[in-house]
Amino acid sequence: MSAVPAAPARSGGMPAWLRRPNALWLAVPGLIFLAVFFAYPVGELLSLGLRNPQGGAFSLAAFQRIASTDVYLRVLGITFKIAGNTALWSLLLGYPLAYWLARMPDLFRGRMLLFVMVPFWTSYLVKTFAWMIVLGRSGVINNLLMGSGVSDQPLELLHNEFGVMVGMVHAMVPLAVMTMLPVMINIDGRLVQAAQTLGASPSHAFWLVYFKLSLPGVAAAGLLVFISSLGFFIVPAFLGGRRETMLAQLIITQVQELLNWSFAGALAAMMLATALIACWIYDRLFGISTISGGEAQEGKGRIRDLGLAILALLARASGLVADTSRKLIGKAGNRVLLPVFAWLMIAFLVLPTLLVIPLGFTSSQFLEFPPPGYSLQWFETYFSSPLWIQATIRSFLVATATAFAATCIGGFAALALAHSRTRWGGLIFAFFLAPMIVPRIVIAVGLFYLFAKLGLVATDLGLVIGHTVLAIPFALVTVSAILKTYDVRLDQAAATLGANRVRTLTSVTIPLVKGGLIAAFLFAFITSFDELTIAIFVSGGIKTTLPKQMWDDMILQLNPTLAAVSVVVFVIVTVLLLLAERFRRVS
Amino acid sequence: MMFDSKLNRRSLLKLTGGAAMTGVFAPAIIGRAAAATQITVADPGGPFGPAWRKAFYDPFEKATGNKVVNVAREAEPTAQFKAMVETKSYTWDVCTLTLSARDILAAQGLLDPIGFTHADVPQLMPEAVSANYMGTDVYSTVLAYRTDRMKNAPTSWTDFFNVEKFPGRRAMRKNPIDTIEQALLADGVPLDKLYPLDVERAFKVLDKIKQHVAVWWTGGAQSTQLLQSGEVDMIPGWNARFQAAIDGGTPAKIVWNQGLYSIEGWGMPKGGPRAEVARQFVRFCSDPKQQAIYTEILAYGPTNLDAYKTIPTERARSLPTSPENLKQMAIANEGWWSANRSAVTEKFNSWLLS
Repeated sequence: MSAVPAAPARSGGMPAWLRRPNALWLAVPGLIFLAVFFAYPVGELLSLGLRNPQGGAFSLAAFQRIASTDVYLRVLGITFKIAGNTALWSLLLGYPLAYWLARMPDLFRGRMLLFVMVPFWTSYLVKTFAWMIVLGRSGVINNLLMGSGVSDQPLELLHNEFGVMVGMVHAMVPLAVMTMLPVMINIDGRLVQAAQTLGASPSHAFWLVYFKLSLPGVAAAGLLVFISSLGFFIVPAFLGGRRETMLAQLIITQVQELLNWSFAGALAAMMLATALIACWIYDRLFGISTISGGEAQEGKGRIRDLGLAILALLARASGLVADTSRKLIGKAGNRVLLPVFAWLMIAFLVLPTLLVIPLGFTSSQFLEFPPPGYSLQWFETYFSSPLWIQATIRSFLVATATAFAATCIGGFAALALAHSRTRWGGLIFAFFLAPMIVPRIVIAVGLFYLFAKLGLVATDLGLVIGHTVLAIPFALVTVSAILKTYDVRLDQAAATLGANRVRTLTSVTIPLVKGGLIAAFLFAFITSFDELTIAIFVSGGIKTTLPKQMWDDMILQLNPTLAAVSVVVFVIVTVLLLLAERFRRVS
Repeated sequence: MMFDSKLNRRSLLKLTGGAAMTGVFAPAIIGRAAAATQITVADPGGPFGPAWRKAFYDPFEKATGNKVVNVAREAEPTAQFKAMVETKSYTWDVCTLTLSARDILAAQGLLDPIGFTHADVPQLMPEAVSANYMGTDVYSTVLAYRTDRMKNAPTSWTDFFNVEKFPGRRAMRKNPIDTIEQALLADGVPLDKLYPLDVERAFKVLDKIKQHVAVWWTGGAQSTQLLQSGEVDMIPGWNARFQAAIDGGTPAKIVWNQGLYSIEGWGMPKGGPRAEVARQFVRFCSDPKQQAIYTEILAYGPTNLDAYKTIPTERARSLPTSPENLKQMAIANEGWWSANRSAVTEKFNSWLLS
């Protein structure tokens, strides 16, 4: 599933009827949907920040309050720092892994990617919980260290910045790898060879040719990780310490406990501004269309010279490091460094999920590791609880409906963009990607406000709408990727043989891009299936989804049912991913 | 639909917190047609569901022939309540409220009278009954410690704040509520003279312990986990959370001394269509024998103190309202917090970061 990558195709050879701008009408349903359920509620929420909570009159009170104390700016600073560090470490750790994967044969890479994506599809709650078990004072690592006598004092790994970084980087590395990988795969390996033939040292060839060509992927990964990280609230709450408070936590408190919408709106505006500034900087440097794998614009003048100088410096430095390590561990040793690192990374990514499996079978009342004994009681609790089962069924139905809606809307939009060559294309594409860029918490709070007015809170329809907003960018990008490689001459052939447009679409285009549609469907499905932020606000009472029910459990009664549920979800998602992989290969 | 043209932006704003529940629950309508009435009660969810089904819902169904459907409510259901009354879409007939939620709702006239007074059930704690509210259970914020780790057993908040004499890993709640009170109690403010809280003084006391607090917890379940896993040796929190760990075999003890208790109980949305049966239900829940039953599962204190006649002595020791424990504690002042929460929370967050 090469998801994140791809772009509106700029293919030549389009038949004339497709090149006419009227193909854009296919994007209209999506535009209307996003205008009503994304742009409007987010705008409305932000405008609340400018209103007096008592009268609704224009007021700067909320922003004055933010300015009157340094606490909010500090939390913004902390949020910025944590998100920035997460992006940095996800790139540093993800790049070599992506590089390694890019050079593997397709089949092997497909299998490895399943491992890489395990944390992506494991509930945030479960991952966070697993890290509590691993890093705690009497956790797995400290038990190992103290049991083996390496350390006589437990290490402080949890409830501090380190704990937060482990949790966040672990959650974000898959996104970074998935974004960088397609760019790396497309790099022509012969260019590196050519550079070496022309006399470049291996490290120069890597930095000045390969790395430089992979930069758009790196930048896109950095941006996506940074923006996704801005909205985190589970990881800092459970793995962080006194200082690790992020903006999303404050927004949730304002909405749910203090019922101060105006102030929540002002805080959301602050978060959105941060995200937009990051996007703007990115766009200045690389061009926003590269998020989906478009070609980067070549830098000019001094910046470019500076960049090249830095790369040359890096090349020289890494050349030195490589020489030293060759002396220390030999040439063969040097060669296994990358695979060893890659396998360690995969272990890091998979470990927390694997840890949860035995916990589901524990006989204890608590989530302790290793389990003191084994039993099936927690699976029994799960399967005999109507609340859990209903939540699971609801999650499935909502995810299916979401996947269907997002694939249709995103698919048609992709088709429209692929077939249209107007200058609006880029703008429309950016608008469709916007739900990925606006922090989820901002969308969730905005939707809640809108849904409360429409009577859609605590309804399945509300959930489907909210999840569809989030899933559309993924669906669009996935379908666009397939359309990019789609040979439009087949459509022409069909037209020549007398098929009308609808017939061409249903009998030629759709069957041929089936793989992409299925991938988009699954992406959207899983986006919805593991979605918590919107569920927290929009579902409630007996209308709860599985992640929401897990969240309530984590707040109310933390017991091994959580682990048992995770095992069930893990099995379901694995089956889905294997199916997806199969379809992908068949298509 | 609640989208009424008469509603201006302001009333919409107030409603938004609360989930327009229009048409979510159809069964209520069917219930009225049949001879027996079905009422929907909103409880706190989690372990409360099964415990109260056993103590209240099933026995009430048996005694009256009416049906009780229970759903989990949101943590602060005030906005839902308001939406329900204003749109006349009664999702719930009875709902669990904290004292602060009761005060907010009562002030706006959104609660129905429960139809009996303290004089009718004199064994109820006086704080637990008002014209439109009946407390069902008492929870308490207390100190818990690991008996296997603490050589010196702490017996008060003063001990908890004394890091020299009582070394050990500490956790505190990442929230000013309770934390401010604990600091003042540690500093020698008597339990009955706590309110209005001297916030400045509290922060000065907190300054001294700040560096020694290893974990700041945010959720009740997390506090259980911290004590049970041995992540910390001493932790303030809600008694039932710690009792869960102790019942599960964790070597830990609860210090009742200087505890602050509060009450949760039933309130009814104004003008509900099934108010008669709901009133019957609320009155039913004041019964000491019924209240005693939920203590088998929940470590919360019955508000009807006669319940202790049927509760085993061993269990009574771990309940907040047993005579032995109750006399060491005082009731938390929710009114003070309603008025000051926003400002003190901001101050507290700022203090945490500095």
